Amino acid sequence: MRCWYFSEMAYHPAWEAGLARGTLRVVLPSSNFDPPTAHRLLNRYLDEFALCDEVGLDIMVNEHHSTATCMTVSVPMALAIIARETKRARLLSLGTPIANRPDPVRVAEEMAWLDVLSGGRLEMGLVKGAPYEIQPANSNPATLMRRYWEAHDLILKAMSTHDGPFNWEGEFFHYRSVNIWPKPVQKPTPPVWMTGMSVGTGTLAAERGHVVGTLLSGGTAKPMYDAYRARARELGWEAGPDRMAYAAVVGVGATREEGLRRADQIADYVRTAPVVAEPFTNPPGYNSIGANVAIMQAGPRAHRIVKDRQGNMIDHRRATVQQFMDTDTVFAGTPDDVFGQIRDFSTRMGGVGHLLFFGQGGHLGHEDTADNIRLFGREVAPRLAELSVSPAPAGIAAAE
Amino acid sequence: MSRTVAVAGVSLELEERGDGPPLLFLHAGEGLEPQRDWLDLLARRFRVIAPHHPGWGNSSLPDWMMTVDDLAYLYLDLAGALQLQDAILVGACFGGWIAAEMAVRDTRRFARLVLADPLGIKVGGVTERDIADMHAMSRDEYMRLAWADPAKGERDLMQLPETELAGIARGREAFARFGWKPYMHNPHLKRWLHRIDIPTLLLWGE
Repeated sequence: MRCWYFSEMAYHPAWEAGLARGTLRVVLPSSNFDPPTAHRLLNRYLDEFALCDEVGLDIMVNEHHSTATCMTVSVPMALAIIARETKRARLLSLGTPIANRPDPVRVAEEMAWLDVLSGGRLEMGLVKGAPYEIQPANSNPATLMRRYWEAHDLILKAMSTHDGPFNWEGEFFHYRSVNIWPKPVQKPTPPVWMTGMSVGTGTLAAERGHVVGTLLSGGTAKPMYDAYRARARELGWEAGPDRMAYAAVVGVGATREEGLRRADQIADYVRTAPVVAEPFTNPPGYNSIGANVAIMQAGPRAHRIVKDRQGNMIDHRRATVQQFMDTDTVFAGTPDDVFGQIRDFSTRMGGVGHLLFFGQGGHLGHEDTADNIRLFGREVAPRLAELSVSPAPAGIAAAE
Repeated sequence: MSRTVAVAGVSLELEERGDGPPLLFLHAGEGLEPQRDWLDLLARRFRVIAPHHPGWGNSSLPDWMMTVDDLAYLYLDLAGALQLQDAILVGACFGGWIAAEMAVRDTRRFARLVLADPLGIKVGGVTERDIADMHAMSRDEYMRLAWADPAKGERDLMQLPETELAGIARGREAFARFGWKPYMHNPHLKRWLHRIDIPTLLLWGE
């Protein structure tokens, strides 16, 4: 198993204001944002990413918009800095919301540039994006996935075509001369990742051999992984753990109490991040017709509810650390505890080869975050690496 | 009872009722909801022809159909296929936008035009919201804006059969496909409204 540290680079000083208003996203005004405070936080968060390289962890960055939950507005911008501050870590963009980007060729250029800068350490997530990203981008949710697949195909073709310009006149994107410079180090492209929570996503990712990742709920992850493996088998290949990724909050401590306390503080992110004004949670067309029928049948629902391993319904806004552990949202305790929990989780899922280690969620201070990273990197990740082998693709030697 | 007709490769579900001069009724974004009073009231004096727009009801929505222009040409083709003469063209809300797009193109089959609270044009400045953002408000706020008496518009979704819920979900998706950006209007339409050469009644609720 490979382990990727990530942090949303949260702006937690505005969370109280967001909770009082009933939304942390889309319509929370930036009068709640203090640039000098954010200056300190952003630089601190980047230091924490850099620390991962010293302790042998890989790194993941994501982006969101119009929100107090995540200050990263551009994955390539953040990864460009991190690429310069690290030598060994692989760098996962998870990712670029390509159906919300007007210019896929620009995405291909930026990803190729990052791959060259980092000496072939880039892994490239092409993601659908969360429902509340629709409004800030003002992208049409009813054609989202059609745009997604056209952008996906165009980006991969742009990165892997090296014999001069090609023409692209599609449904949504039009170029008469696609000929990107630079070209990436990794051939034909850096490894591609997708994210999702549905059986459909598992199937579609398997058809392309991409890595598929999901976030914070083991209950929905299993059917997606199973669908991936089944589709791969139909197509004549065996999908190993290296195709499956899972994101969880992880709190490690010298004692169990310390690990749980750290996880509890990081989990405040999970408690607040789903607090979004109602109209932005399910834009028309974002979810399938079947999913919308189920939503209407369920009636007005408060917030994100997930099932724990015993089938109990857990409300993320109010869950305790123990409840989060029962939904596989959190792994926490001593290094031994955490190793055991992740190993057991991977076994239950049929083999997960990538753990996306959510190790800072806003409220956790710098000293705790750094210690969490060091303990996880030195005492947990090496043991997880032996569980299943997910070799890194060969790049070129890191720039001296 | 409804029937299905094929026009320009689209399978259109039509509601028809009443006798008298022909009246083509184009429904709002919420859907036709033929069980409500409006078609029956019109049918007292007219032969009412009311299609479910592509993507609503049981009408198909091909992938290529993405703009209100497409709907305008589709319904001009429908009027031709039904050989309408001196018909009254009525559009409510989103249907009013489609009716206006039809009327700036070709009014040969129509004698009069009725636009009830039509979407389709914006006259205010860049930062002004002429058309309320229906997709950025709660369901309750929407109902207060869309209905003089919101209680009349309420439907208990949890009581509806699955097929009807699927129809509502399809209609919402189709409405977004046609109207998301520019939001519920065509920036060019107001430049061509002078081409409408039949008597037009504009109804506007407050």
